[in-house]
Amino acid sequence: MKTLFLIKIGEISLKGGNRSFFEKKLKENIKNRFRGIPVTVKNRRGRFYVETEEQFAPLVQEGLSQVFGIVSFARSFEVEKNMESIRKVSCRLAGEAARQGAGTFKVEARRSDKNFPFNSMEICREIGHDVLEAIPALSVDVHKPEWQLNIEIRDRVYLYGRQIKGPGGLPVSSAGRGILLLSGGIDSPVAGYLMAKRGLKLDAVYFHTYPYTSDEAKQKVIDLSRILAPYLAGLNLFIVPFTEPQLAIKKKGPEAEVTILMRIAMMRIAQALAHQRNAGAIVTGEALSQVASQTTESIRVTGSFTDLPVFRPLIGMDKEEIIAIARKIGTFETSILPHDDCCTLFAPKRPVTRPKYEATREHYKELCLDEMLEKALNDAERVYSRVENLEK
Amino acid sequence: MIYLDWAATAPPDRECLDVALNTAVETFGNPSSLHTPGKKAASVLIESRKAISRILDCASSQVIFTSGGSESNNIIISSLLLKGKAGSVVVSAMEHSSIHKPVGLLKQRGWEVRWIKPGADGLIDSADVASKVDETTALVAIIHTNNETGAVQPIVEIVEAVRKRSTVIGHPVHIHIDAVQSFGKIEVNIAALGVDSASFSGHKLGGPRGVGILFLKKSIPVLYRGGGQETALRPGTENLPAVTALVRAATKGVTSLQEHYDYAYSLKQRLVKGLSSVPSVHFIPDRDVVLQKSYSPYILTISFPPIPAEVLQRVLNDRGVAVSTGSACASKKHRISHVLSAMGTPEETAFSAIRVSWGKTTTEEDIDIFLKILSEEVGKMISIFR
Repeated sequence: MKTLFLIKIGEISLKGGNRSFFEKKLKENIKNRFRGIPVTVKNRRGRFYVETEEQFAPLVQEGLSQVFGIVSFARSFEVEKNMESIRKVSCRLAGEAARQGAGTFKVEARRSDKNFPFNSMEICREIGHDVLEAIPALSVDVHKPEWQLNIEIRDRVYLYGRQIKGPGGLPVSSAGRGILLLSGGIDSPVAGYLMAKRGLKLDAVYFHTYPYTSDEAKQKVIDLSRILAPYLAGLNLFIVPFTEPQLAIKKKGPEAEVTILMRIAMMRIAQALAHQRNAGAIVTGEALSQVASQTTESIRVTGSFTDLPVFRPLIGMDKEEIIAIARKIGTFETSILPHDDCCTLFAPKRPVTRPKYEATREHYKELCLDEMLEKALNDAERVYSRVENLEK
Repeated sequence: MIYLDWAATAPPDRECLDVALNTAVETFGNPSSLHTPGKKAASVLIESRKAISRILDCASSQVIFTSGGSESNNIIISSLLLKGKAGSVVVSAMEHSSIHKPVGLLKQRGWEVRWIKPGADGLIDSADVASKVDETTALVAIIHTNNETGAVQPIVEIVEAVRKRSTVIGHPVHIHIDAVQSFGKIEVNIAALGVDSASFSGHKLGGPRGVGILFLKKSIPVLYRGGGQETALRPGTENLPAVTALVRAATKGVTSLQEHYDYAYSLKQRLVKGLSSVPSVHFIPDRDVVLQKSYSPYILTISFPPIPAEVLQRVLNDRGVAVSTGSACASKKHRISHVLSAMGTPEETAFSAIRVSWGKTTTEEDIDIFLKILSEEVGKMISIFR
């Protein structure tokens, strides 16, 4: 038996002339999300329809809730375009809803096919009446119904009950590509999630400072990218060996500036990677004044080392707000594992919180790290996390 | 790989594993069964218990086979949960986690926990222990050989002081020792020590995992219920293959105890001498005392601040040397060993502490190679962080 999902796309439908571009991306993303299982994706007049075999329905349901651009979706039933068919299926759905505990209901109808002999009001009235008669456990509440039956009269007729919230936003890849600075912490995965939600296709970069950071810390970042991948339509993680630059900074840089100089070096590598990958932006998990390297002055300095826009979607958020998103997307539990970067070793006791713009830039230039950073990027290891998750 | 983590687990002694395999195949019966294979297994179990009782110098009815040191410790602590009223326990602040954590459970249940802090030398004072005992005290628990510092506590003195105090206040106190790191390495004569219970493990001296011993002078109430095995103190079909292997490991250990002890001591001397020229080395406890008789000749803890132990351990591992550490970088905060904190070791020193432990098959060459590699790696890192 087939299961049909009807998908609502919200913001995309406001995109006017570019609408078909966004719709095409969304269709591609849905198809890729379910690679390996029998799924057909159709797009008709502002609605998407995904059909699959019944056994795959739970997997598809989970997947749809991770595809950006989807505002909501519902398991739907396609019926013949006549009142008798609509009536029959409506009563069956209402019966199921009542068995699951619904006590009040409402019928909502939309008729875009104006040739259908009843208008929306008439459909609601007729079907509402039939449901009331057939299912005595249900009564009508048009303001706060516990269950809502939706009837859409289009080229075909679709019925659906409960709608499931999608993640919203815009389809991944509709806004170009960005480079995400991914650490093992709580913030950066959330930053990646939020920018992907606005349509950015991401590559991630992680700086590995072995032996000062452990292989467990690296594995943690790989695990995080696996958790993010379904939202990000797949994710390439570039693991850059960062020990040599890190030691050079520690050795030659002014003690209090070690952290900010390190952040600059990371920004430089991200910028170089962006050029390689044809990316137009850098994404970080910085939140204003969370740590010394995230003050206004520090951000000015680090940002000045790239000509690309740096997106910092968490800049105005509190830790609690960030954690709430991390929990929602499932990265929190992994982020708080104890394998941390052993940056205590490199972090100055009293880091500069208000670096002098010119002086710090000068100090960085004096380190002459360009060649070293280029080598580090060339030696990067690439780990790809697939979008689809068919293991379950 | 040069394996210097014997205190975590010793490389298995093949002879002991052969014994286990042989028992598993030849004496597979359930000792509780009344048929011939069962009776054969029961008699092997009786013989094994006798062998251990001879080694420990106690009655064979006082030997309970368990799944290991952690279970033996837990049986003793959890027994207190069955008492009607919460009292107090006197516990050294440098116990293994299988005492330290169950004691935390007692605390949650209203028990008062009186910690005994060791000195900077890792040793505790018998008078201090006795002074903390009063009519509410149900248990005194002390680790015999500490698993991090190798400090061997003066158990005889402690028992004497506690018993004296106990007589004065007219209140009996159970004295438990965790002798896991002593078994087969340092003389443990239960009669001479005068304790009420003691824990031992098989795999620290070449025996298999999953087997240990609880010496128990007098029966106590326990939380377990089952088929009544091990005088109902530790029910469950006996792990006879592991028990016979443990007996072999323990027998071999005590037979050559002095010889191995002297050899281990010579390795420790070599190590201490060699380490003294490594930059930034700190001995925990001090270099002056680590070679004294009140420390195990099998264990040494050293530190090279500010190099984090975790990093040093990783680097040594990559160069083929296995050591361990109780410290780690955890969420940008230093997590350091509770044993070293209890001794008042400065945080930076504790954060950099690695434990080196060895055994009878460790060679002088192993020690020399370790010293060379350590010296090179520490030298490299110190120059970066100084």
